[in-house]
Amino acid sequence: MLIAIQDLHRVYQVGDQEVRALDGVDLNIDKNEYVAIMGPSGSGKSTLMNILGCLDTPSQGSYRLKGLEIGKMSDDELARIRNVEIGFVFQTFNLLPRADALHNVELPLVYAGAKHEERRARAKEVLTTVGLGDRMKHRPNELSGGQRQRVAIARALVNRPSIILADEPTGNLDSRTGEEIMVAFENIWRQGNTVILVTHEPDVAEHARRIVRMKDGRIESDTVNPNPRSPAPASPPAHA
Amino acid sequence: MNLRESVGIALGGIRANKLRSFLTLLGTIIGVASVIAVVSFVEGMNKFVTDKLLNAGANVFVVDKYGFIGSEEAFEAARRRPDVTLDDADDLRLGIRNASMVVGEAEGNTSVHYRDHVLKGVSVHGRGAGYDVVDDIAIGEGRHLTEFDDRRREPVCVIGPEVAEELFANVDPIGHRIRIGVQDFEVVGLTQAKGKLFGITQDRFVTIPVRTFQKFFQERGSFSIAVKSDDESSLPLAEQEARNIMRARRHQRPGQPDLFGITTSETWLELYHKLTGGIFIVTIGVAAISLLVGGIVIMNIMLVSVTERTREIGIRKALGARRHDILAQFLVESTTLSLAGGVIGILLGAGLALGVGAVSPLPAAVSLPAVLLGVIMSTGVGVFFGSYPAVRAARLDPIDALRHE
Repeated sequence: MLIAIQDLHRVYQVGDQEVRALDGVDLNIDKNEYVAIMGPSGSGKSTLMNILGCLDTPSQGSYRLKGLEIGKMSDDELARIRNVEIGFVFQTFNLLPRADALHNVELPLVYAGAKHEERRARAKEVLTTVGLGDRMKHRPNELSGGQRQRVAIARALVNRPSIILADEPTGNLDSRTGEEIMVAFENIWRQGNTVILVTHEPDVAEHARRIVRMKDGRIESDTVNPNPRSPAPASPPAHA
Repeated sequence: MNLRESVGIALGGIRANKLRSFLTLLGTIIGVASVIAVVSFVEGMNKFVTDKLLNAGANVFVVDKYGFIGSEEAFEAARRRPDVTLDDADDLRLGIRNASMVVGEAEGNTSVHYRDHVLKGVSVHGRGAGYDVVDDIAIGEGRHLTEFDDRRREPVCVIGPEVAEELFANVDPIGHRIRIGVQDFEVVGLTQAKGKLFGITQDRFVTIPVRTFQKFFQERGSFSIAVKSDDESSLPLAEQEARNIMRARRHQRPGQPDLFGITTSETWLELYHKLTGGIFIVTIGVAAISLLVGGIVIMNIMLVSVTERTREIGIRKALGARRHDILAQFLVESTTLSLAGGVIGILLGAGLALGVGAVSPLPAAVSLPAVLLGVIMSTGVGVFFGSYPAVRAARLDPIDALRHE
């Protein structure tokens, strides 16, 4: 099991009030799954995503990633896990504005301690696979929204993580560009990666093969998506 | 790690906002520049002083009424001492066995006339015979003053080259009569040029026999007695002999403080060291304040930078940057910033020192230790004042940082 979550709680203290953002979540995700986590705002999906991404730790309960207990880790150990195991794709892209596409993609490798030539080569390779081989020296403000998100996807992939964690990846894009990004995720998944989408948009969630619905800090339903909306025109699924 | 990147970000920031960077770095620049300039000057001066001041008046001490006066009380007490007379000088000359020369001296200042040429504010030196050895003065033309001139109170004088040039222009001054104050004197000698000491000319003077000086300029009042010992090792002996003779002449009891003063070049050296020590302390104060202010400004700008780039920090953390990665990044930035200020300060300080050294007689020597000191100081400021912002950046929570607008 790649991800094993048992009885997960996350409680925030807001003023003198306790907010139970997660209130007993159990969730297992296997390698090479394509999961969408859905729910309205306040349902706890963002909190769950933060914990899945090792940005946050649970107040109570267990989160094991590849058998490692995340809840007991120090900040620096969490940083290491994020670097090696997690590839983030954010709604607002979160690229460094002053760095070009190539450098943005290199960044996880910088913190992984890779040598300069090695990370250069790897970053170029990944940028080429997302179709930005000719945009490597462009800064984010010289790229379109869709291109920026593809840079972010390349950055998420560059260190070969166990999980691609995408938070509303099409939220800031028009629908046509959004579809392109969903094609990219489909391809990533077909290449054997584990993809977790966090979204409140049913259209986006329907691309996933499994849909987890959250409400009030608990999992409301966890179902296999019977009719995944494949954005790829007619190519048969590689894993089938 | 990403050292090059952090240095690049810092330099890029400086380039992108030159005025702000300049203002940010002003304190550091002033602090480092002042230290470099002063260290350069003091080092140059040290060399100069040991070269000139000490060698010129080597093994000479001066006996006079006041000696080295350090306070108003000391001056009041010294005022009541008996005058030092030319008879004292004669007795010292006869009595000190370790002295090669004893010369009675007096100083004045007046205008000098030759025909319709007038030279105002000329130093008038009254000197006993042998002054040329004590004052290290070489004759250029004519002759020195003699014992005979002095005993007969002759109205003769030896003049410095500046006086000669300004009064006589192209005429040979030897044998001409000039008026010093209200008295006519015959020029018997012209000295060789000595140049300047601390920017003050040593060539604008007239020297007359000390008894002639007594006759025309100073019937009463105290004289100085310059004593030159045989060599360096006999200087303390000569000084002790002089003290014994002077005390005996004043009928002083044992234990009573001297009723006269003795000043050696040692005294001047001490004063010089006190003076430069004072300059050093003031400079350290100025530099410390400048660097403190400069450091606070750098800290402030780094805090602004951390706030502005909170989201960037969040992104970096999400991608796997550990605390010390972020800490190092911001420390490198603040240090690059302050080091840039340091380099500007070093150039400015060195330029100042060399510039003043070029247009004035004040010597300056920019030394490697001074430059290293500047580099260390500015680096220290960057590390010290960059720490707090860097620690704040490193401690940011990645989720909060990513949410930051």
